[in-house]
Amino acid sequence: MNGPDLPDLNGPDLNGPDMNGNVTITDCGDSALVAKAIGLDVEDAWRLVHALADALDAVRLSGVHDVVPTYDALLVEFDCTRTDHDTVRRVLSHEAARLGPNPARTTPPRRFVVPVVYGGEYGPDLPEVARQLGLTESEVVALHSGSDLTVRCLGAPAGAPMTDGPPFPTPVPRLASPRTRVDPGSVAVAGRQAVICPMPSPGGWPLLGRTPVRVLDLHRDPITAYQPGDTFRFVPITPDEWDDHAGTPLAACHG
Amino acid sequence: MADTLTIRTAGIVTVQDLGRVGRSRYGLPAGGAADQHSARVANVLCGNDDRAPLLEITALDFACVPSGDILIAVTGAPADVTVGGVVRPQWEPVPVRAGETIRVTGIRRGLRVYLAVLGSFAADYLQGSCAPDTVLGFGPALRGGDELVLRTSCPPIDHPFSRIPLFRLNAPVLPFPTTWIIDVTDGPDRAEFGDTGRRLFDAPFTVSPRSNHIGLRLQGDVPRRVTKGEVLSRGVPIGAVEVPAGDELLVLHRGRGVTAGYPVLAVVTATGLSALGQVRPGQTIRFRHRTLDQAVAAHRTQRGAVDALRTRVRTAFDALRIRAPLGS
Repeated sequence: MNGPDLPDLNGPDLNGPDMNGNVTITDCGDSALVAKAIGLDVEDAWRLVHALADALDAVRLSGVHDVVPTYDALLVEFDCTRTDHDTVRRVLSHEAARLGPNPARTTPPRRFVVPVVYGGEYGPDLPEVARQLGLTESEVVALHSGSDLTVRCLGAPAGAPMTDGPPFPTPVPRLASPRTRVDPGSVAVAGRQAVICPMPSPGGWPLLGRTPVRVLDLHRDPITAYQPGDTFRFVPITPDEWDDHAGTPLAACHG
Repeated sequence: MADTLTIRTAGIVTVQDLGRVGRSRYGLPAGGAADQHSARVANVLCGNDDRAPLLEITALDFACVPSGDILIAVTGAPADVTVGGVVRPQWEPVPVRAGETIRVTGIRRGLRVYLAVLGSFAADYLQGSCAPDTVLGFGPALRGGDELVLRTSCPPIDHPFSRIPLFRLNAPVLPFPTTWIIDVTDGPDRAEFGDTGRRLFDAPFTVSPRSNHIGLRLQGDVPRRVTKGEVLSRGVPIGAVEVPAGDELLVLHRGRGVTAGYPVLAVVTATGLSALGQVRPGQTIRFRHRTLDQAVAAHRTQRGAVDALRTRVRTAFDALRIRAPLGS
């Protein structure tokens, strides 16, 4: 057994609903639980589920193999032949109580400066997005590249950095007909979110541009240089400057 | 020079294992054998580690030839398995002499057959697994003429004349029914479907041809969400039964992206997922509601049977002086 000592059993009430003020824990099939932050503002909820994921990783609970923190929820996946819902629930509950509603950030955020060629063949939906927002194309580019955007979670299809959207006046609608293939490095927006598509994949988000840098390194563990809490700053470049950055790993765009 | 296993008829075959664990947080899907139970049993029957590379053969006929003497085990969907033209059993270890052709044909009632080799073979790894991932562009399908480098050989151990099978290990075989019963537990968003949630259990669903290891699309009387509002993207488990706005149910399988935004009505159980990994397009499934305790108990029973098999294999191999090089 390489499991940790179990937390104090006199902690939160295990028989009632899991309430310790900030988190509810719900069954999610025979091999997973979901912890959801409640009664907190968006920023605090996000911070809590990521801190909870870090705490669970640190505990290295036997049988637990994956944690997926997103915005206000944390999915915990485990092998139910090696542990059980009650054990995982108890540890989650204990860690949530220990962290409290305002957990401190454990690692300082890093900032990545990412060159992007906007519009044209690189960002075919820029004109349509500008029209929907009632802005000019250069105003859209100025907003997208005008502030640091915080990575909130890593999403589908693989390691995609999901950031808060740029301060557009209104949410951006998704494409009526998703593309079957989006080129790697494509920079897309939808709703009030932004993303870089790291791998060729289908996608329904409007494309504003494309970065020549290599977003993932599949031979490193983890595959991403960035993590939730880090920030991206997009910098417009011309198509002529593409080759200057082509293939540069994103890890080298630290700035 | 190391012995090899040469693919003669490829069909649809990939090098596979039980998948990538611990990478979901970085947005990597688990992947791995669609029928985890059959894949696990194939390796156990060869005395291998459960996670050793093996072959996943999908739907189409397959043939290969080893350059040395080996021991194999073939599990998964029923098929005609021959070695050197002689019919051989599935779900038991089978000795193969150098140069004999192993054929797997007529895969039926299920979709995937697993072929493990004692000692396994060399494979490329990415993020801790050799499982193919179409998004990452890793692990291409094997083609005729491809050679896998074998890690060990196994001297011939069957009777040279009578070919009486040596093994009666009684491996836990998955049932392959005409109508599949797939067990599910309530999903976290069950309440959002009101009375229509019952529809999941009231009538059968048909598996659409647009189904794969990422997810299965099911046609039938689809439950409807009765609440409104967007669901914020969040992690969804393998087995999540999602209900998009259209006329199909979506059941996420092992290649699923780790985050999604549709409400989760139900979650397929761990044993149900192995069964679902065998369902063919066009086949019919019925969902069966289980409590969490029933689902966990069923998974533990299935895994316990594999553990007991591992012990029997070890005993048989010890008696026959077969060295199982990887043993878990």
